[in-house]
Amino acid sequence: MTKTTPLSRLLLPLLAISLLAGCQKEKEPAAELAVAPPAYQGTVVAVGDSLTAGYGVPEGDAYPARLEAKLNQAGYRWRVVNAGISGETSSGALSRIDWILRLKPDIVILETGANDGLRGVDPQLTRQNIDRMAAELQAKDVLVVLAGMQMMRNLGSDYVERFAAIYPAVAEKRHLILIPFFLANVAGDAALNQADGIHPLAQGYRIVVETVYPYLIQAIKRKTAGKQGR
Amino acid sequence: MLNLRFIGRQITGAKRQCVVFVLCVALSMVTLVSLGSFSRSVQSSLLRDARALHAADLIVHAHAPLPAPLQGRIASLAGQGELLSARYWDFYSVVQKATGEGTLLCDLKVVEPGYPFYGQLLLASGRPFSQVLTPGSLVVEQALLDRLRLRVGDALRVGNATLTIKDVLLQEPDRPVNFFALGPRVFIPASDLTSLGLLGRGSRADYVTLIKVAHPDRLQALLSALRGAAGDSRVRIESYRSADSRVKRFFDNLLFFLNLSGIFTLLLAGFGIQSTLFALLKEQERTIAVMKALGARSRFIIGHFLAVTLVLGLLGTLAGLSASLALQGLLPWLFRGLIPARVTLGVSGWAVAEAALIGLLVVLLFTALPLYRLKEVKPRAIFGKEESGGFWSRSTWVIAGTGALFFLAMVLVRIKDLKTGSYFVLALALLILVAYLLAVGVLRFLKGRQPKNLPLRQALKGLFRPANASRSIVVTLSAALAVIFAITLVERNLDASFIESFPPGAPNVFFIDIQPAQKAAFAASLAVKADYYPIVRGTVSAVNGQPVDAEKERESRGDNLAREFNLTYRHDLLADERIVSGKTLFRRDWPQEQVSVLDTVVKMHKMQVGDFISFRVQGVPIRARIASVRTRTSSGLAPYFYFVFPDSVLADAPQTLFCAARIDKRQIGAVQNRIVAGFPNVSVIDLTQTMTLFGQIMERLSTIVRFFTSFSIAAGVLIVVSSVFATRYARLQEAVYFTILGARRRFVLAVFAAENLVLGAVSGVIALVISQIGSLVICRQGLDMSYRAYPGQSLLLVLATTLLVVCVGMAASFSILRQKPVTFLREQADE
Repeated sequence: MTKTTPLSRLLLPLLAISLLAGCQKEKEPAAELAVAPPAYQGTVVAVGDSLTAGYGVPEGDAYPARLEAKLNQAGYRWRVVNAGISGETSSGALSRIDWILRLKPDIVILETGANDGLRGVDPQLTRQNIDRMAAELQAKDVLVVLAGMQMMRNLGSDYVERFAAIYPAVAEKRHLILIPFFLANVAGDAALNQADGIHPLAQGYRIVVETVYPYLIQAIKRKTAGKQGR
Repeated sequence: MLNLRFIGRQITGAKRQCVVFVLCVALSMVTLVSLGSFSRSVQSSLLRDARALHAADLIVHAHAPLPAPLQGRIASLAGQGELLSARYWDFYSVVQKATGEGTLLCDLKVVEPGYPFYGQLLLASGRPFSQVLTPGSLVVEQALLDRLRLRVGDALRVGNATLTIKDVLLQEPDRPVNFFALGPRVFIPASDLTSLGLLGRGSRADYVTLIKVAHPDRLQALLSALRGAAGDSRVRIESYRSADSRVKRFFDNLLFFLNLSGIFTLLLAGFGIQSTLFALLKEQERTIAVMKALGARSRFIIGHFLAVTLVLGLLGTLAGLSASLALQGLLPWLFRGLIPARVTLGVSGWAVAEAALIGLLVVLLFTALPLYRLKEVKPRAIFGKEESGGFWSRSTWVIAGTGALFFLAMVLVRIKDLKTGSYFVLALALLILVAYLLAVGVLRFLKGRQPKNLPLRQALKGLFRPANASRSIVVTLSAALAVIFAITLVERNLDASFIESFPPGAPNVFFIDIQPAQKAAFAASLAVKADYYPIVRGTVSAVNGQPVDAEKERESRGDNLAREFNLTYRHDLLADERIVSGKTLFRRDWPQEQVSVLDTVVKMHKMQVGDFISFRVQGVPIRARIASVRTRTSSGLAPYFYFVFPDSVLADAPQTLFCAARIDKRQIGAVQNRIVAGFPNVSVIDLTQTMTLFGQIMERLSTIVRFFTSFSIAAGVLIVVSSVFATRYARLQEAVYFTILGARRRFVLAVFAAENLVLGAVSGVIALVISQIGSLVICRQGLDMSYRAYPGQSLLLVLATTLLVVCVGMAASFSILRQKPVTFLREQADE
């Protein structure tokens, strides 16, 4: 969040409380859904906050669009829907689970919790929220890939450790595919991030795509195996 | 050769007019000197406020340690004595109680000695901040103590260090600029930064270097030098003057308004001078005619009357200067607590010289026309048969043109903007023209009326008696009143949109991220009246089918359409909203989905009522037709939304709730504890401190504005007085005739009262019409803010001025009535 917010934008920052203020979506998922060419083998919904939505980068540079392109190149005709909402906490993500299910996902990449951390929310709550989301998605036969997150060092080592522990714990309990750290090799590198030090630049998202890709392939394989087996 | 006795006799013979003339000159002088010297003090006081809000002259802001060249440059400039610098690091951290359970997200500010360069940190103990914040100690906000149930003297774990709470922070000067905080403030001395172990790779903090320049005139040069040394777009360097903020805009508007009202006062005083002189010369018409009949040339006569005005002008200047000096002595008392005691309120020699020069020009300018018209007095005026010639002769135009040029120059000197200056002068010309046309129209209408009431009928007749100055009085009065009304209206609007934006009852605590399912329980737990706003995140994809070009949008300096917006839904306007386009918020007769947009959006992208905007709300496209355009009538911290939908469109979309509440300062800690315990996902933003600071500053500024506008009101009163004097002679005559015809004093009084009433009311109404339109344009175009008409207060203005005209008129008439008709007739016969 920008601490030197100009007063002229008084309320917006209040509302936008943003790890997540401003995003451009790659796709119009629902619009495409309506005219969805039957060619797609499956749907991945990227649920998350501004890191998914692609805060501050041009359309096409956020990770879901790049991920879809990479999948298609590799011969996987899957579509990846960007369902990121800037500023959203894990509580918000949990509240919109029904809305997400309307997109009929086969796989959900769940990237949430960063805003909880930035607001100092008790990691216990974040953990419960993610756990409940995973349970509800699984109940609808959606395969969940959980994106691990870490908090900034300035929040204090105790908090940082408790926060980082959320993801492996939920992944283990619910048998989710875990990306150990969504922003691996990106976080903390000034050259890969925007001036706010939080949101990746386009080159940062390239690395994010490389990080996520193998876990998604793993999920797709598991999903298709499951479908064939049925 | 000037005949001094003649000059002396003219002055002593028309004492009242001369007093008003001198007062007008004095008033314009007081205004000029005040704006010259005092406004410099006001300006520096305003700038001081602006500086205190940033705590420094220059602010270097980064998200990482400053690049070496910039650091080197700051160090070398400090070595040369050019500047002082103090760094601070601002970041969030979760602090822990040293004993027992309890953690809290806090906004840490680790400061080097020297902070703040401007403004003051107020501590509960009243001790100086620098003495309290010693190594190993903390200064915290009360909210932290409440939330963690701690007391001053207790220990707190911050990062790897355990520090002791030494004092409670009451006020932080730069808080309003960095007001957005998710946790209470904690001050830590820079000497403990390393032991915290919180900064380094993987941390996120604001790295700020505050700079105080040694020589204020070098500010801009140093700013450029440092920006040059930064060479990196990630480092932002601002001066307290350049920092773009609402506060800055307010200060700019205020100074602009003060200058404008100063010039207006000058203009009003000029009108006063002119109409007094017209009155004075009117009474002397016969004397002049006699002089002409005896062979005096116009040049001789004009020369003598010019000498009269110059003597009066000199008297006025002297009176004005001594009044200014007295006022300057009085100001520190008048502005107790508003302007820091160390501000020098001296009268500068330059300001006096400038004022005297401009005062002389004003006198010459406004006396030119009445004096010039002496040429037109014909000897036959002795017989009272003077005919008024065409008013708009070529020389009138020349004089009027010179006047316009003079005011253009004045405006340019004061406002330093050619466009504004030209608008200003054009507006003045338009003002007088419109006042003239309206006066002619209304008077023509009145001329045909035949009211049953005899005094009223006589009064109307009196308005059109030969050689009566009704038209010019109405023009002068209505133009002058229009200016005063406009100043009052603009001031009210400035007040409403800035100062009253921080009313005592405004929300001071905000809660974000309340989930819809939590609302009922949350409201019960909060237990105070609060407003809830649903928030749905979404983006704009197209306007009228034209896709939004994100790249191009982001190039815009201001806000743009390419970001994500907080959408909401409701069916009513908020208290501080008004529809500027469209009939209602939503249309019942439109089958399509609808949206109401804020006028800010229309500025970002061209659109109007009836157009279509395509949104993407979390994956779902929504195409909505613009049913109305709204504007905000205040600039406070109240929530507002760019896009408002009817319930039917968004109610089902994923959303969170935003809550704004007014909570007593002492209760905030307890409420926060309750909310955080019951609803751990909800974050609290407490703006109490910011609101208090803002409120104080705004109140102070409002007093200054009122002080300056009072000058223009004084000028207005003088104009009313002088205009009434202008008709005094004709009244005298009339009173005598009425009395001779057997009228009682009461009847004569009724006629005079009715005449003044008509003059006052007509001028007042014309002035109101002009001022409403003028203020609307000034507010909307000049000051870029919304406009309110204040119908009740406008009506009061008209009533008050009418009453004033009647009272002054009656006061001037009483002496007439006391005169015995025979005295007047004898004097007539003597002539």
